[in-house]
This record gives sequence, structure tokens and C-alpha cells, in this order.
Amino acid sequence: MKPPVFGKKQVFLPNLVLTLLRTPNSPPNFATFLVPLNLNKLDMRDYLFHAYGIRVHGVRSYIQMSKLTQDKPGSKRPKPRKWFRPKSIKKMMVEMERPFVWPEEPKEFDMWDKSTFDAAQKDREMQEETFRPDFREKPSRERASIAEQAKALLSGEERWRPTPRNDEWDIEGEEEEVETDVQVPKTGP
Amino acid sequence: MSTSIAMRPFARRLLKPARSQHVPPAFLLPSLLAPIQKKCSISSTTANLYPRDNNRERGVSTARRTGLRQPLSVSKTPLPKPVLDPAKRSKVEVDEDHGLWEFFHSKEKPMNTPEEDAEHGRPWCVEELRGKSWEDLHALWWVCCKERNRIATEAFERKRLEAGYGESESAKRDVTVRRTQRAIKQVLTERYYSWQDAEAIAKNDPEVDLSGEGPTYNPSDFVEEYVPEEEVSLGSDVKPEQDIPLEPEVKPEQRSSPTL
Repeated sequence: MKPPVFGKKQVFLPNLVLTLLRTPNSPPNFATFLVPLNLNKLDMRDYLFHAYGIRVHGVRSYIQMSKLTQDKPGSKRPKPRKWFRPKSIKKMMVEMERPFVWPEEPKEFDMWDKSTFDAAQKDREMQEETFRPDFREKPSRERASIAEQAKALLSGEERWRPTPRNDEWDIEGEEEEVETDVQVPKTGP
Repeated sequence: MSTSIAMRPFARRLLKPARSQHVPPAFLLPSLLAPIQKKCSISSTTANLYPRDNNRERGVSTARRTGLRQPLSVSKTPLPKPVLDPAKRSKVEVDEDHGLWEFFHSKEKPMNTPEEDAEHGRPWCVEELRGKSWEDLHALWWVCCKERNRIATEAFERKRLEAGYGESESAKRDVTVRRTQRAIKQVLTERYYSWQDAEAIAKNDPEVDLSGEGPTYNPSDFVEEYVPEEEVSLGSDVKPEQDIPLEPEVKPEQRSSPTL
């Protein structure tokens, strides 16, 4: 086997972040990374060998243009007609000497509290919906419930009665003295 | 078509009722209607002796899946069928010391839980790093680099799986690592500035030779140590052996005559 050839320029404090991606459809001796745009294939090969001891047979790279967005990402109120293209994404696929398979996906996400997370997300979406311009034109969310109640009334399952006021007591049966054994002291004349 | 034009006079003859005696019998019709072969006026050879060209593979096409004209030695061996279900495929053995394991905090799961992500201390501060050597700082920098790769990989996977909470914990961890990196850079910058200052001083220092020939530091002759006058007078007047017998005898000599 040929000894690997590396670049001669020494880089002491590299400041780059690689993100390893899960690629179940590519063969196990291939690994794909998200890399910064200024990284090239030769840098990648040297970095992987010197930092991680991975021998690389070949590197393929491509740059993926991001989609146009209205206004800059993260802006609270995106301005109309202000188009912005986020930074491109560079991916590199390396062919390794030895295969690697990702650890399996966890079956349950209790440790990440997925149920609460999803519920909060759903609630947020419902809240956001009310601010949309077409919210008032759409049928209200209570429509189904109202229809159900009306159906029950019409079929005679339930009887209509007026909504009780807040200051009204619900009196059921005869009045009864509860504290019969208490002697109330007489005060006054 | 040429055949229809050629057929016309025969057909006309056939259809004419007056000359019905000369009409050939019906079984000869196909011969009458046979297409006239075109003859090439230039070439004397007929085209039927050869196929259209000398290509042996004529008619063999991968696009039309025709297959080969003759069977091969492997034709009897059935083709292996691809396993479409990924669960049924044979498992790939991954080496324990594969470099890509360093992109994960653990080998069991692809990402840390928020609790595990939150288990970290404070970043290294500049005061602690000032006493460290370059080798230590460099090693710490690389530890930070790998940790950032790990954090980025796991954060991406968490988002992809829509696993739930944990984004803020990993972001805080990332900030801690970056603060350490910042401290390392600050220490190195400070060192560089002090080295620059030292170089400027050394240029005017007669004891330092920056030419690169011979030793860099050439201390001049001994500079006498500062000794306060009172001590000198005491040492000359009072005999220390009598007053302080516990003290070792060498010391006063040293004090009075350090040049020896």
C-alpha cells in the first residue's frame, strides 16, 4: 500500500466544526460530514487522519445552495419583498478504509421528554394560528363541539337549561339546620 | 409505397371484365403482388450476403435487456437477490478503535440526554492557563475541537430524530468549550506580546547576543549582592559564635564574605 501523502503546512489551532451525518443508504465505509465552506478535500483528508486516525481513500464534496427565505433567518416579522439567501451548505463524503455504522436510534425518547416537547410544540402552533390573517375566515375550532351539542339537544338526550350565574346557589332539596347542638350566646338587648 | 404503384397495372387488368379470359388464376395472385426488389446501380454485390455491418454485437442491448447471443459459463448460476429490508441484512462489524467513535459521547446511543449534556463544569479561565506549557495548551485545544464536533453531531441528530428537549443544554456546553478556546488564545497572545517586549529589551542589553553565534546569554562579571550596612557592621563588631551558638558556623562567613 502506498504511504499516505499529506500537506506540509502545519496548522496548530484549527477552528472548524465537523458534523457527522447519519447516512443509512450509503455503504458502511462511507461517511458524510457537514463542513465549513472554506474546507477543501485535502484539508479534510489530513484533518481526519491527524485528529482521528482515519485513513481516507477518497473525498467527494458538494455545495448545496440554500433556499430563498423572506428576510434574514430569525427575524421576528419577515418583511415582504426582502429576499435573503442563507449560506450554502457544504457536505463531504469520505471513503474510509474501515467501515463504520452509527449507533442505533433510541426506541424511546423519555429521557428527552418528547411528550412534553411535542405538546408544547402543538400548543405553540395553535397559538400562532390565531395570529394569521385568514384565521377569522376559517371555521372556528369549536364548531364540531357546537354541532355535537346541538345534535344531542335535538335528539332529546339533553335538556336545555340556562347557564347558571356565578352568584347563584344550587339549592337541592329542603333547607335543614346543620348546627342544632350549638348554643349561640345571646348578645345585645 | 413502391409495391402499390407496381400493383396498379395488374390490378387494372384484373378488374377489367372484357379481358376476363386472360386473367391468371387466383392462386398466382401472391406472385403477381410480390414486392419488387430494389437493385443498387453502383454495387455489384447483393446486400444479403452480409448483415448490415460486421458488428457481432448487433441487436445486443443492455437498455432493452436482450441478453447475450450465446450463454456464458456463469449463466447457470442464479443471480443473488438484493435484500431490500435493512433489518435482514448482515450486520457490519465496527472496530472498537474506529476513529469515528470519537464523534459520539457513548457507543450505545447516538446522542446524549439533556442530563448528561448538562454535566459539565466551568470553562478554563485565563489565570489557570497562564502557567501551562504550549504542549498542554495545544492538547487542550484539540480536546475542545473534538468536543465541539461531538456536540454538533449529536445536536444535528437530535434535531433530525425530533427527540425532544436538549438543545439549550448542548448549546451551553458548546459555549463552555468555546470560552476555553478563547482563554487559550488569550494566553498565547499575552505570551506573544511579552516575547516581543523581551526581544526589544534584549536588543539593547549588552549581556544578550541575538546574532545567533555562540551563546545567547553572556552574563558579565559578578555583580555584588546588596548587603545592608548595619548587618556588615554587626558582623564585624560582635562575634556571632558567642551570642548565637545554635547557628551554624558557616553562615556568618557567607554573610561577611559572599565572594568566597
